[in-house]
This record gives sequence, C-alpha cells and structure tokens, in this order.
Amino acid sequence: MSLRKLRDKYAIVGAGYTSQGRIPDRSALSFYVEACVNAIKDAGLRKEDIDGLICYRQFQPVANDVVVTPYLLAQHLGIQPKILSQESYCARGHFLHAISLIEAGFCNYVLIVYGDNALSGKRSFVKGATNSEPADDNAAFGEFGRAAQFAMAARRAMYEFRTGPETWKEIAVCQRKWANLNPIAMMYDKPMTYEGYFNADWVVEPFRLYDCCLISDGGRACIVTSTERARDLRNPVVTIMGIGEHNTSVDIHQSDFMAGPTGANMAGKMAFDMADITVKDIDACEIYDCFTYTVEITLQDYGFFGPGEGEDWFKDGRTAPGGIMPVNTSGGLLSESYFMGLTPIAEGVMQLMGRCGERQLGAKTGTKEPEIILCSDNGAVFQSHATLILRRS
Amino acid sequence: MAYEKPLPKPNADTRPFWEGCQENQLRFQKCRHCDHIRWPPSVICPKCHSSDTDWIVASDKGMIYSYVVYHIAFHPAFENDLPYVTAVVKLAEGPYILTNIVGSDPSKLKCDMPVVVVWDDSSQEFNLPKFKPLNE
Ligand SMILES: [Zn+2]
Repeated sequence: MSLRKLRDKYAIVGAGYTSQGRIPDRSALSFYVEACVNAIKDAGLRKEDIDGLICYRQFQPVANDVVVTPYLLAQHLGIQPKILSQESYCARGHFLHAISLIEAGFCNYVLIVYGDNALSGKRSFVKGATNSEPADDNAAFGEFGRAAQFAMAARRAMYEFRTGPETWKEIAVCQRKWANLNPIAMMYDKPMTYEGYFNADWVVEPFRLYDCCLISDGGRACIVTSTERARDLRNPVVTIMGIGEHNTSVDIHQSDFMAGPTGANMAGKMAFDMADITVKDIDACEIYDCFTYTVEITLQDYGFFGPGEGEDWFKDGRTAPGGIMPVNTSGGLLSESYFMGLTPIAEGVMQLMGRCGERQLGAKTGTKEPEIILCSDNGAVFQSHATLILRRS
Repeated sequence: MAYEKPLPKPNADTRPFWEGCQENQLRFQKCRHCDHIRWPPSVICPKCHSSDTDWIVASDKGMIYSYVVYHIAFHPAFENDLPYVTAVVKLAEGPYILTNIVGSDPSKLKCDMPVVVVWDDSSQEFNLPKFKPLNE
C-alpha cells in the first residue's frame, strides 16, 4: 500500500506556546487551555473551527488538580468537537490519527495538545519527587521508571556497539548551544561544557544528570488541516510530507532486542517511503530526546549512520549551530522544555515558518536554509514511535 | 526493623509465580502446543495463541542481559542500598526477568555475565529472586 497519495496533502498551521519552565501555582489544565487558545489564535482560526481534539496522555494529577480529560478541556475552550480523544500510556499516533480523520472527511481542523505542571507539582523521577507513578511488582527490586529503563537499553547498546558518554556528551552540549539561542528555553542562560557534562551526578548509571530531559511546567499545541485549507490561513504553509508509525510494544524488561532496532526503523521507512526521499534530503532534525541516547539510537535507526558510528558522526559540532545537520534546534527536551513529541514537532514547524529568531536555521546560524525537517516522537520505552517529515511549501 | 520497600502484589495471572518463590522456585508457563516458555504470565501463548499450558520450574541460572546502577533513591526505603543494581537477567530457559544483582561490586559487572539466583527472604512475606555472579 503506497501512502504517496497523502504526501504534502496535510499541513500543520498553528503552534500554541505557553509560559514555561518553573511556573508555580498553575494547574495542568490551565496549560492545556492556554496552549490550545494560542494555537487557534496562531493559525488564525475561530474556536468553532476545531472539530477534532486529541490530547496526549495525562499523568496522575498533582497538587489537588483535577484529571485533565478531553471533555474538560473542550468545556473550558467552549467547543463541542466531533471527535475527542486522549491517548493512553504514550502510544504516539496523534498526527496519524489527525490526518486519518481529515482524509476520511470526519474533521477539518484537528487540535493536538499536551500540558503539565510536572515541575512545580514534583512529579516522579526528580530528586525529592512526591508524586510517583503507580508502581508494579518491579518496585520490589527498586525499579522506578523511565531513567532506569532507558539506561537499561543504553547499557545493552554499549555492550553491542560503540556508544556511551563520549557520544552522549556531544548530544547534550550541542543541544545546549541551541538552547542558549532560545530565550524561552529553560536552559537559555546556562551554557554547558564537556567538563560540566562529566562532572554532573549519576542519575541511573550509565546516565548522568544531563543525559536526562527536563521536567517542565507549561503546554504546547499544534493544529492539523488540509494543505488546501492551509493556503487560506495566515502562516507560511508547512506540509506533512511523510508520516510513519511503528509500535514494537514489548516491555523493555522482556525485550530481546534491547539495543535496537527501535520502532524508529520501521516508522522511518514508512515516512521516507511516503515522502519519496532519503536521509540525504533532510536539512535538519527535531528528534524526541527524553535521553541523549534516544537521539543517537533514533538517528541510527533512521539510517544517518551505522551502529557504533555515532561517536564520530556527532563530533565537531555536526548537530550544533553552524553544523551541517542541525539537531534539536530549540534545545529539545534536554535543554528547552518537556512537552512530549510536541516540543520537537512544534520546533520543526516554527523553523520552516521562519519564526525562530536568533536560532533560525539559515544565514543567521550559519546553517542551510531548511526546506525539509525530520521530526520524531517516542512513546514509553521504545514501545511506540512516530516519524514526521515536514516541508516548507 | 519493619520492611519498608514495596512488595509484589500478586494477581490472578502472577500468583503461581509468587507462590513458587515462597518455595524458592522460579515457575514459568510453558506452552504445550509450541513449547514457548513465557513471561510475564498470561492465559494464552503470545506465539501461537494456545491456552494449553504447563507450569515448569526453571533452573536457577541465567546471564545478565543488561543492568543499571541506581545512584538516586526514587523511594526512600532504597536510600541505604545506594548504589544498587537492577538488571534484566535472561534465564537459561528463555524468559527475561527484572531483578537485582547482589554480592558484587557494580563496576565489575558486564552484560552476558553468568549469574545464579539467591533468594532474598528479608521481607518475611515474599521471597524475592535476586542474582549474583556465578563465580563469586
Ligand atoms: Zn505456543
């Protein structure tokens, strides 16, 4: 089945940002509402135009919050969309679902959103966390969550091919350089050196502090519609040239392919086939980076380099400002802020719209003027993967 | 001193495994149709969808498939154990299980290192299957 008929047929027409970082005394719901309203405004739409609302998964409420449901969000936005949905446990099908709904004729404008007050609410996996995820039997062995689960995969990778902190330090430092150009990034005014990377504490070895993504208060939203409709709206048109999805599904603790290939391999093939291009055509990447290693294995599985070649590939600032393959130009989840896949995807959209200020790809940062940007989203521990290839029309 | 770490919460699927642990046995389901030994427990075989199942007792040996070293306690009861090791051990019979590696300096561990079970009965409620390097 060829998906080529869908190439460039759909577009992302608006991005909604909120205040972000450490923003105390705000409910998670308030960030959802703010992100949605700003996305609608940004696209130049009326709220009544939104006929599909898709939320990312929400964690357990903290700080006396209510559970954020799509009903509640629609109520607060004053809309009654045809389709409401909310993904569970991080299966990353949001954009694929949005396209499907529009292609089938059920919807015209689908709003995709995530928000949280994770930092002020002391959500799990930070030192001093007071709001942990529900534990399973693994907790009896002191196994608690994402950092350890991704570190487990990374350790096996270190055994099977050449990778480790020498590779990851480049990823952490290069992304920080991008964040230092981005005034809304949580790490905007905090440069990082290799020494700083290595001097940081271990979290779960082999991951140090700066291998791990940020935890943020805030929200983000994007709106998908047809390219035809996008041409009548106010922003430059950014199309979805290719989209891919793959769900390996298996729990990392039972995976017999812990070092990959991850879902990026199959999802990437699907997206590149639909776009009818190869990695050689990509001008920049916005890669879901819950951990430094996630960036490496994702690009490896997309075919940018072979297993173990990452250490050389990332060297000499290839992915930094001025580099030949910019990666995570907002600072990413590691150095900008954590809003699931909407951090990388919104950045891809903003870069192609030419709205990125000091960090804008092109002459300003000594990089290629971008026409095609590859974005990724990852769910759970390499259990779900989405690939989006975006293009400036 | 009271045992303050989380304990397993057996359910209808996992109860036979934890009952086995009480007798220092690692029990797994084996498919009668295709011989696949599965973990976690389920009413059917994920390979062939047969529900025809035996419970077998696995040997006490395996190898470290991967491991990590915790340097932060995400639960206060583990603070005194830092740094401690969680690992995925591949048992000789095939299943991959999440466990701890004990009795060894974490810096000496390696993937594919052979390990053997050691039963931890310190909770007095559940025997937990942990592992140590075979040659120690
Ligand atoms: Zn079977």
